[in-house]
Amino acid sequence: MNRGLLLATVIVFGFFVVLARLAGLMLLDHAELSAKASSQYLRERQIEVRRGQIYDRHGRELAVSLDVNSLYCYRGEVVSPRTVALEVSKATGMKYADLIGKIAGPGGRRFIWLKRKLTGSESKTLMALRSQKGVGFTDEIERYYPGGALASQVLGYLNIDNKAMAGLEKQYNSTLMNKGGKVVVESDATGKVLSEGVQMESRGDNIVLTIDEGLQYITETALDEAMKKWDARSASVIMMNPYTGAILAMANRPTFNPNDPGGSSAGALKDRAIMDLYEPGSVFKIVVSTAALESGAVTPQTLFNCHGGVLTVDGRTFHDVEHNGVLPFEQIIQKSSNVGAIQVALKIGPDKWYQYARRLGLGQKTGIDLPWEAAGYVNYPRTEVSLASNAIGYGVSVTPLQLLRAYSAIANGGYLVVPHVVSRITAPDGQVISRFHDRAKRVLEPGTTAIFKRILSLVTQDGGTAAQAAVAGNTVSGKTGTARLFDPRTGRYSDKYASTFVGFVPASDPKIAMIVVFKGSKGAIYGGTVAGPVFSEIAEKAFAYLNVPRDDAARNNMVYLGRSRHEVVYTP
Amino acid sequence: MQNFDWLLFGLVLFVTTAGVLTIFSATRPLEGMHHPTFYIKQMVWAGIGLAAMLLAIKVDYRQFGRFAGVFYGAGLLLLVFVLAKGRMGMGAQRWISLGGISFQPSEIFRLAFIIMLARHLSLVKPPLGIREFLKMAPLLALLPLALLVKQPDLGTATTMGMVFLLMCIGRGMSKRLITALLVFGIVSAPFFWDIFWQGFLKDYQRNRIVAFLDPNVDPSGIGYHINQSKIAIGSGMTLGKGYLKGTQGPFRFLPENHTDFIFSVFAEEWGFVGCLVLLAAYLAILLRALDTARHAKDDFGSLLALGIAFMFATYFFCNIGMTMGMMPVVGIPLPFMSYGGTAVLSNFIAVGLLINIRMRRFELFY
Repeated sequence: MNRGLLLATVIVFGFFVVLARLAGLMLLDHAELSAKASSQYLRERQIEVRRGQIYDRHGRELAVSLDVNSLYCYRGEVVSPRTVALEVSKATGMKYADLIGKIAGPGGRRFIWLKRKLTGSESKTLMALRSQKGVGFTDEIERYYPGGALASQVLGYLNIDNKAMAGLEKQYNSTLMNKGGKVVVESDATGKVLSEGVQMESRGDNIVLTIDEGLQYITETALDEAMKKWDARSASVIMMNPYTGAILAMANRPTFNPNDPGGSSAGALKDRAIMDLYEPGSVFKIVVSTAALESGAVTPQTLFNCHGGVLTVDGRTFHDVEHNGVLPFEQIIQKSSNVGAIQVALKIGPDKWYQYARRLGLGQKTGIDLPWEAAGYVNYPRTEVSLASNAIGYGVSVTPLQLLRAYSAIANGGYLVVPHVVSRITAPDGQVISRFHDRAKRVLEPGTTAIFKRILSLVTQDGGTAAQAAVAGNTVSGKTGTARLFDPRTGRYSDKYASTFVGFVPASDPKIAMIVVFKGSKGAIYGGTVAGPVFSEIAEKAFAYLNVPRDDAARNNMVYLGRSRHEVVYTP
Repeated sequence: MQNFDWLLFGLVLFVTTAGVLTIFSATRPLEGMHHPTFYIKQMVWAGIGLAAMLLAIKVDYRQFGRFAGVFYGAGLLLLVFVLAKGRMGMGAQRWISLGGISFQPSEIFRLAFIIMLARHLSLVKPPLGIREFLKMAPLLALLPLALLVKQPDLGTATTMGMVFLLMCIGRGMSKRLITALLVFGIVSAPFFWDIFWQGFLKDYQRNRIVAFLDPNVDPSGIGYHINQSKIAIGSGMTLGKGYLKGTQGPFRFLPENHTDFIFSVFAEEWGFVGCLVLLAAYLAILLRALDTARHAKDDFGSLLALGIAFMFATYFFCNIGMTMGMMPVVGIPLPFMSYGGTAVLSNFIAVGLLINIRMRRFELFY
């Protein structure tokens, strides 16, 4: 039967058409279609994470997360915009006209915030609005810094959307927001989440700092007073354990309140202690000194003719503040003679000098666990003039933290430490997840540091440049630096100065190393005059706070507390 | 039972089993919700269908021919009844409830329709002339199609219309009739289209046609079915995602996934290879039905088998074509696989008739 065969052929042909189409969809277009498939059943969900806390070394809260209410409304669903605007304006002090414009004005999004992160009293007053149609409250998490501006640049801050913008908040964001972020969940056509066992709320890990809230407070207060006195453009102080690199306090001026970072200038938000590069002046003589002592080129008693404080190197003249004559090496440092230091530098040559500058980590990042640390530069001095200026701290660019680390190497017997702010990370239940591991490396011989330590202690004694940095009953080893500030706008040195004092105390068994830098101070410029007293004041109060006995306690029959000094200061 | 067509029976059983498994997968819930019992109901209906099939085999098929008029009349009455008393569902009046069980009269009617048509055509001397055609068309085509369109059950109406024409062609038409039909079709198409488009179609039906022509007009609106179905099929790839591993079905992006779009769910889980097997089974069923028609001992049996083959073929192609975006979305189930009690029942009876015709091909008249 012919017709039957024809029908069968037609049907078989139909199957081939179907097969061709099927092959097209399943074998050729499948990539595109599969992508569409997963894109519609996999959705990203934001997990609400309670940001971890930040504690100081003794477990005191420096940053906490609080639950707060935020008020929102759906435009167009609000029945009586006037009532709502009036109530909100009464409770929060926002302008009625602005509010009514927001709620009832033309255009814009449907969902709007009326006021985010209400204070306790605001939220209490506004609870009455709950019954209003189209208005609602939602829980948000707000970061609160109990200390206000205390250590603000170190801690950093969050913007209104709880995004970490600076400081530790930024550096340790993933730790603090641990297990948070987004999850991919399967959801059906109605948007219902179908994946099981997905935790939609979590807590971040906590970080425990090396910073001591008490020492930080002492530092901040002293800095405030000194700023009042010197009216400086900016200032930084870092206090560190010279043996471990643990930062005990770090403060800058100008500063800001991280609870309300909105109106702060960029300068106030900046952690100058690690971000501000400058030419440090005489404190940089640490390089020439350690190089010369360690290579045996000089002894503390080696004499140099300081030519009355004037020296011309290759056509360029360098001056001392005082008209020094013939001085032994130790007095060149004590009195901070540029002429003497330059002669020492020329004696050891550029190779040795550059080698020690690198060894002391100058012009390099220290590796501190804070964002945006600056490296600066120390270049190989190709000419005698550049060697001469570099030796006395010009033509180089460093941060205060780099200097403090170099001087800590003198304090701790020759180790270059890794400065750090976080000592350990703990889980929400308090269990320690990780600790900071010391990675200090030897850069100087103990003999060298012992000699130089003694020379540095002469600086704060009679005849030194920083008698005002002395701490009652304790020997301070340190160095002053005073350098003209380079003005990048004019391209030349300005009449403003950077005044630095960096050192450690007690000299025999250093508990703290500290650097104090003031820039653009008025009335006085010298590191010994401007920065020295601040060093002294902070160190004295810090020792009282830490119960560190005076060096002369035994000699003067003063009370001995009966605890090892190491224990007293450094137990976390 | 000597000449029982085990091959056809086996193929139908295979496809039905695949259908139940796919319904199970398509309706499976997530996160410990209650699993809808569609797959159990389908099995029950398949059991009822099997019993009905055996009954349909037991009785000589010529008995059906003898009572074709009675069946047909009853079928038409059911269609009228469903319009008057039927239950609304998804914008259409297609169901009748009988003692808690609802069924679709149109699914029963299509059997009576084919039997009636086979009976009538077997009595007409081929080839079919214009006069004969005009005599049979009003009662055997226009009236039932109008009733179906009124429900509206556009899918059944279309497929039955096609079966009507195909069976006429199968019987053989005179050249004059063919010419007349072609001319009439071409001339009246725009006119009928207009009436059809404006008067008969509901909004959702118009949308389906627009969506078919361009599924991307509005992916989450009218083109949604087609796009979702294509996505499901396409993500099956060569070997499929595996049974119970498909996402499109359970995640409910694909509506009607256990009824009209069951093939998409199957394709996603079993892949191209699985589809090849399934399509081969369907092809074998259709060819077996044609073969039965060819070997039937009388014209009625031959035409009946042909009509059933055409019915399965149109249902199959319309449904598969719809799931792959080759045809507009019309509510046509896939025979043996789609969930639907009445459809399962009537399909099994149809298979019973095929087996019946084949079995009795050597029996003598008495």
